[in-house]
Amino acid sequence: MQSRTGLIFFPAFDWAISKTHPEREERLLYTRDQIFEEGIMDLPGVEEYTPRVSDFHDIARVHFCIPSVRSQVTEAHLIASGAALQLGDAVMSGEIKNGFALVRPPGHHAMKVVHGNRGFCNINNEAILVDYLRSKYGLKKIAIVDSDVHHGDGTQNIFYHDPDVLYISFHQDGRTLFPGTGFTNELGGPQAYGTTLNIPLPPGMCDETMDNVVSNLVLPVLEDFQPELIINSAGQDNHYSDPLANMRFTSKGYGRFTEKLKPDIAVLEGGYGIEGALPYVNLAIILALTGFDYSYVSEPDYDPELFKEKKENVNNVQQTIEYIRKTWDNRYNIDLNKIFGSEKYYKRRKSIFYDTDFINEEQVEKVKRCTNCSGYNEIESKIRDDVKVYCVSIPFYACGSCRDQAYEGYYRAKALKQYDYVFLQDKYNDVCLYFNNESSIEEYTEG
Amino acid sequence: MYIGIDVGGTFTDAVLLDNDGVRATAKVATRDDLLSSLLDVLDKVMDNISGHKIKRVVLSTTMITNLILENKYDPVGLILIPGPGVSHNNFMYNADTKIISGAIDYRGREIAPLKKNEIAEVANDLAEKKYKKAAVIGKFSPRNKSHEVEVAKILEEFYPGWNIELGHRVTGQLNYPRRIISTMLTCASKEKYKYFINSVLNALEKRDIDASVFMLKADGGTVPIKNSADGPVETIFSGPAASTVGVQALTSAGETEVVVDIGGTTTDLALILNGQPLISSQGASIKNYITHVRTLSVRSVAVGGDSKIECSGEQIVVCPRREGQPYCLGGPSPTPTDALRFLGLTELGDKSKAEKAMEMIGGITGRSSEEAAEKVKDLVVDTITREIQDMFYKWEQEPAYRVWEVLQRSKEKPNIVIGVGGGAAGFIKQIAFRLDASPLIPQYAPVANAIGAAVSMPILQVTLRADTEQGYYSIEEEGLQYKIKDQKFSEGEAVDLACEFLDKKANANSFNMGQNEIEVIRRETFNMVRGFVTTGKIYDICVQTPRKLLGRFGEKGGGK
Repeated sequence: MQSRTGLIFFPAFDWAISKTHPEREERLLYTRDQIFEEGIMDLPGVEEYTPRVSDFHDIARVHFCIPSVRSQVTEAHLIASGAALQLGDAVMSGEIKNGFALVRPPGHHAMKVVHGNRGFCNINNEAILVDYLRSKYGLKKIAIVDSDVHHGDGTQNIFYHDPDVLYISFHQDGRTLFPGTGFTNELGGPQAYGTTLNIPLPPGMCDETMDNVVSNLVLPVLEDFQPELIINSAGQDNHYSDPLANMRFTSKGYGRFTEKLKPDIAVLEGGYGIEGALPYVNLAIILALTGFDYSYVSEPDYDPELFKEKKENVNNVQQTIEYIRKTWDNRYNIDLNKIFGSEKYYKRRKSIFYDTDFINEEQVEKVKRCTNCSGYNEIESKIRDDVKVYCVSIPFYACGSCRDQAYEGYYRAKALKQYDYVFLQDKYNDVCLYFNNESSIEEYTEG
Repeated sequence: MYIGIDVGGTFTDAVLLDNDGVRATAKVATRDDLLSSLLDVLDKVMDNISGHKIKRVVLSTTMITNLILENKYDPVGLILIPGPGVSHNNFMYNADTKIISGAIDYRGREIAPLKKNEIAEVANDLAEKKYKKAAVIGKFSPRNKSHEVEVAKILEEFYPGWNIELGHRVTGQLNYPRRIISTMLTCASKEKYKYFINSVLNALEKRDIDASVFMLKADGGTVPIKNSADGPVETIFSGPAASTVGVQALTSAGETEVVVDIGGTTTDLALILNGQPLISSQGASIKNYITHVRTLSVRSVAVGGDSKIECSGEQIVVCPRREGQPYCLGGPSPTPTDALRFLGLTELGDKSKAEKAMEMIGGITGRSSEEAAEKVKDLVVDTITREIQDMFYKWEQEPAYRVWEVLQRSKEKPNIVIGVGGGAAGFIKQIAFRLDASPLIPQYAPVANAIGAAVSMPILQVTLRADTEQGYYSIEEEGLQYKIKDQKFSEGEAVDLACEFLDKKANANSFNMGQNEIEVIRRETFNMVRGFVTTGKIYDICVQTPRKLLGRFGEKGGGK
């Protein structure tokens, strides 16, 4: 077993959503200063990697980008996701024991279908990593633990019907913060019930709460699930100085969390306390990953007197933890027909709002309740009456009849001529098809 | 005419050059009496030429490197102001280390004050232990020097006459552990280095040489010898830089080449990419400590002409150590040199002994002598070729922090493999063949180091970082910090200011810079936004003089 930690630091000093947007060049400037001044890259056991550029296929394997991958991503996105893949390869080859992609732009609000930018995200770096590892190395079970203050609705959406990917998120209660989701009853679809777990937290909670959630919920669930790999969506906006949220976690708290979770790969997500939080939180995470002492890391304005949790909130969190734990333990004994009905296909409608780009998307999602595999998925998506799309996805371990039906769906939609774009993701064969109705051109990518 | 001198641990080499090329070369043993070695080598190379005709002298030396390697420096007390961050237990150095209160953050703001009584205690303690040298280094001192300066003031009050070195004066670059090492070594070696400088100036005076005198630095640039006294650590590893620049001068411009210096026990590799020596992204490291010293990217491989060869069963292994001379030169056991002698690739040593050596290897491993010699040669060529390929790979993997840097990444491969050093002749052809490049052994390869010293020019850099919200700017290389008077200080003004500093620096270094020759390496502006309002800007500007050589004496594909 190697004892090295791989680090990719990609601050994208020449990329911003806009000049004054929180996702701007300055975001990791002070983190750079702190990491460089501490001499982190010189520490024994730290290996600095340079990011590579993802292939379009790596993205098409996960996302239906409309109208095309090219139109939805900038080079910075390809590099940020490429950084995650680079570390994924290094972990799989045994070069490193774990890795941290300290990159921007972030990705955990990007869903399966991408019409534009949501919550500063276009493509989902962790999801791209998960599906890359599954197709390249044949990994089966992977867990993603999301420690960003915002619910990772994109990651949840991508793996909602996938029983092999466990998604656990703790975050500030969706009633008080973007994106307004991530409640305890969001537990996965009928084919993957229980492999999505959400722990909404009342605003103002401190390190003790993060500790409690990790020790009494996240770790026991992971122990049960036995993933082959653990990925951490390492958002840092639970920090007390974050300007966009209201939690009270500290850098030491993040260090302890990382030390306990022991993720194989951490990927930076949000965190906009660019001076008060990021330099210290990133330092603590890196030290915890490498196994160095992080107890000397502290924020200049940290005053322990200001970090007391309200008793009623502590009880409230305790109840949530117990509820989720019970749901997880009973997940195989629950009558799914009661929740999802008894139709052969489970269908749901969704409205999705893209806050950055002001787009309203309407979706109808359909999953086959297959008894031989996790079932193929279809999505019909439209924006007003402008764009209409049909997407179909074949999961990694799909059965023959799901594969056939998915291809039938793709060719039928193509022939119908009423969709502007038609997509097929065949994860079983690692092939993606894309049809543009107006030009009648079909494109093809493969891994 | 100009002179290059390389003062190595064993030999002192010199060359005399003029605009037409090499006029004379000389090699003498380096003796303890530095002055006499210098006079000796000067006399040999000048051969009755008047000292007044010499316009420029450049020296390179391994003296400081050797001092450090052999622990022959004065003890230095370390006073550190690390503040929060990495554990203080990480600061374990081969020196008395005192950690005091106080902290500065990344923007130069004080986050914890100094405690005066603590400083007094530390000073008394060091004085009791008979220290007379102290290095004071604070985290983020390049962003705010006030803590370091304050500590120095208190130390001077209590113990006037101590040698005190401050971190921000030694380097303005971020990297606290490297700054600690560099400052400590600077403090430790200053006096010894002055002895070196005095010997040099004395020798030149005795031979009527009134030329300008420079020292070579690890990055292949030069610095006037008097200015170099402030930063002796800059001269560590100027040896490999000298040979690399020498090779650069002996080959044609713009080539991508690999320099292979095969010695007795080690082989040194350096890359020249499109005519420029590759600078290491890490500082020079010594005794497992990394300093901030900018250095050429040089790799040492533990294989050479005298490497011991071991056999077990059919296996032949070239060991990473030397047991003595090659067998054909009267040594105890077979070496790669014996294989070369056997194959007729070198004239060195006794042919019949080389035959005996290959017979020994062949006998144990079930090969003919011919096969054994070929196998040994292949093993050495394999090792060196692999290391060269890995160097190119590592270069491609250098970190990048900007989108354009990742996108413009290109693959390079060497066109020419250049051999210098004793063992080069036998191996260079094969190595070049493996790399699909042409081999070249320049005529003056044995004194490439001294030639490199002679033709080196200053490489001057100025990095200006301005923080308009905090209202100050700093010049990294000089450890200077100034106030910004005008709140509206613009990026253009910042670049102009950096160029002004570079100009001043060029003058101080007797470097005539042509008009418009300044290269802007980096100009970045970070908008500081607080609560949706732009509150200031951070500029990061880096300007540099072009990298030049005083002369070139090479042609493509062959030495002159």
